[in-house]
Amino acid sequence: MKDTPIDPVLPRLGVPGTLRWVWRQLTSMRNALFLLLLLAIAAVPGSLFPQRPVNPSVVTQYLKDHPGYGPWLDRLQFFNVYSSIWFSAIYLLLFISLIGCVVPRTRAHWKTMRSAPPRTPGRLSRMPEYGTLALPEELGISADQAVRDAVRLLRRRRYRIHLYDAAGARPSVSAERGLIKEIGNLAFHVSLIGVLVCVAIGGLFGYRGQKILVEGDTFVNTLVGYDSFSPGANFNPSKLDPFAITLDRFQVTFDRSSKAHYGQPIDFTAAMTVKDKPGAAPVKQTLKVNDPISVGGASFYLVGNGYAPVVTVKDGTGKTAFSGPVISIPSDGAYTSLLVIKAPDAAPSQLGFVGFFLPTALVNDKGISYASDPDPFNPQLNLNSFYGDLGLNTGQPRNVYTLDTKNLTQLNGRDLKAGGIVLSPGQSYTLPEGKGSISFDGIKRYVGIDIRHDPGQGGVLVFALAAIAGLICSLFVGRHRVWVRTGTHPDGRTLIEYGLLARGENHRLPAEAAAIRRLLQQEWKVPDEEVRTIDTKAPTARAGAPIGETKTFPTMSKDW
Amino acid sequence: MSRTTSRPASESTDVSARISPSRRSFLQASFLGGMGAAVLSACSANDSLAQQANAGDNKNYIAGDGSVTEYAQTERKAPVVIAGRLFDGTAVDSKAWAGRVAVLNFWYAACSPCRLEAPRLETLYKEFTPEGVLFYGVNIRDREPEAAAFERTFGITYPSMQDTDGGVLLAMTQYVPPQAVPTTLVIDKAGKVASRILGLADQSTLKALITDALAGK
Repeated sequence: MKDTPIDPVLPRLGVPGTLRWVWRQLTSMRNALFLLLLLAIAAVPGSLFPQRPVNPSVVTQYLKDHPGYGPWLDRLQFFNVYSSIWFSAIYLLLFISLIGCVVPRTRAHWKTMRSAPPRTPGRLSRMPEYGTLALPEELGISADQAVRDAVRLLRRRRYRIHLYDAAGARPSVSAERGLIKEIGNLAFHVSLIGVLVCVAIGGLFGYRGQKILVEGDTFVNTLVGYDSFSPGANFNPSKLDPFAITLDRFQVTFDRSSKAHYGQPIDFTAAMTVKDKPGAAPVKQTLKVNDPISVGGASFYLVGNGYAPVVTVKDGTGKTAFSGPVISIPSDGAYTSLLVIKAPDAAPSQLGFVGFFLPTALVNDKGISYASDPDPFNPQLNLNSFYGDLGLNTGQPRNVYTLDTKNLTQLNGRDLKAGGIVLSPGQSYTLPEGKGSISFDGIKRYVGIDIRHDPGQGGVLVFALAAIAGLICSLFVGRHRVWVRTGTHPDGRTLIEYGLLARGENHRLPAEAAAIRRLLQQEWKVPDEEVRTIDTKAPTARAGAPIGETKTFPTMSKDW
Repeated sequence: MSRTTSRPASESTDVSARISPSRRSFLQASFLGGMGAAVLSACSANDSLAQQANAGDNKNYIAGDGSVTEYAQTERKAPVVIAGRLFDGTAVDSKAWAGRVAVLNFWYAACSPCRLEAPRLETLYKEFTPEGVLFYGVNIRDREPEAAAFERTFGITYPSMQDTDGGVLLAMTQYVPPQAVPTTLVIDKAGKVASRILGLADQSTLKALITDALAGK
């Protein structure tokens, strides 16, 4: 031993070795569980911070309110958690790990399914469920006949079987059932991968957009028609299916019978006219919450509603500068709604209004109007007015729901001499300084619709159902093996012994053993009294009836 | 002593023996990984649209990036067949445009790029009317008073169709879909869409497009 190394030299892994090591780490169960835990933790910021896919304007506001750390959170993708690099990395690793686990298991199970059930172990009495039957000589059933009967019975019980030592003195049948458990298990995992792939397809080729439609308005599915639009990563705008939908009428039913829920909405119904392509005949359809209408590959959902007071603004020259419904955004259950009116074409100066629409206005003890009911029993507009530059002539995008008062001068307001503008339907108000007038002409309702195209949706449904079916199989099916061996005793009796072994835990194994015993008894009409019931657990049983002494310890197949 | 060295070695062969059957799964995994990377990297596509989706500015229209598409003679689709109604009630039929170049501009009054480009369109309208070019606005959101106020403000003299029912917009999707507000289309003498501007139109660009269409290009 001259060449004894001073330090133990570890073999170099090299690049392929390192890759193998990484792959093994990744596909280990421990790391899969760790990744799953990490995924749950990584999802937490998604519920702590506003998310762009949910509502981008809230994120914009958040960034404005937190100029210090907001941009940093943005850089770290905390406002797009579920599509962020770090979140994607975790779930992609998790799914790679899953594939690394599923593929070898599928291959192993495929082999198992194609091979015969394993050879009958030498000592069946070592099985957790074991029993024997003895057939008197006068019955005339040979050992050979008995094993063939057992084959028939087990086959009828949907076991896959194999006969061993058919020509020998002690023929035996090896039977197995419940391979579908592992199939279910694999189907569950494959389906999870399928769900991910379908979600990815939806994310790549789908789109989602929003549009507010006032009664009587039409939306055409082109980018011109949308209020806001989120394309999938590989979305092509020319792939939008051209269809047109018109909101004919929108009805909301509020609860008037229950005291506890008085005034809460119980039904939303939008009567729509749908044209599924240019030149198609219009079709009347009803749109309800959670009951989308599908047209040309896209579905649209009813996601919001509110009032659109119809307003006419006349400018200082007496000409109409604006006339039409104005979207008001409800902020509570009584539909206290914020609205902004912009009249960029008013002369000599642009006019802007900001205030509230109250469907049923009441005045509190401080003289302030508030909304008391969502139905329009006493509709009222409460407005402040401004004139000046609305900032619309620069080509820069402006928020239609806010009024930027930086370059505006206030005309009306609670704190001003002129006071605020309060209008009921049919009333009009003349603005101070000859700037014009505003009138409240009536009320329309509007709906907010969400238009979605998700080509992966059907696949997600199929795979989700397959995952559930697979899970049910893997949870409720028990996999076990049964062996029956027969032989002839020197005294002429035919002896039968059987043993059952479950893979994993199977609390239904004793019941299955009893059922098989009963079947065998019925087959050979062995009365119960003549049968010694043998429990494997009892030491006496072991000494009782084994047919032949086998010296070898029962060997199980490797994958057992 | 040799045992200490041999042990890790045997371990490593053990590892490789257990790993080799899953080479195929490794390939599959790297395929999925690549797909995931594609999902991530694809954020750069559709930049303008994605940026608008993330902006959260509630501007309520999809803006164009000013991109210009010119269609070669061979790739132009069938002649446009549309019918609309002007704000004053006059019916408009594309059949009447035969042999003339037409410009269609999709707009509405409160859209700020529309307000910026309106004077440019009016200038071009005045310039090309003697050459027989037709200009039509297609107003997709406004009622008559708002449209009229807009036209007063910017001194617009070319007519606009009222399209709150989406008839013209829906018909146009068969040829070249307007994909932003504003969208400007130039239709050649054969009635086919020759070019499209998404978003704010540059005056000299639009002028060149109209000149090309007049020249039969």
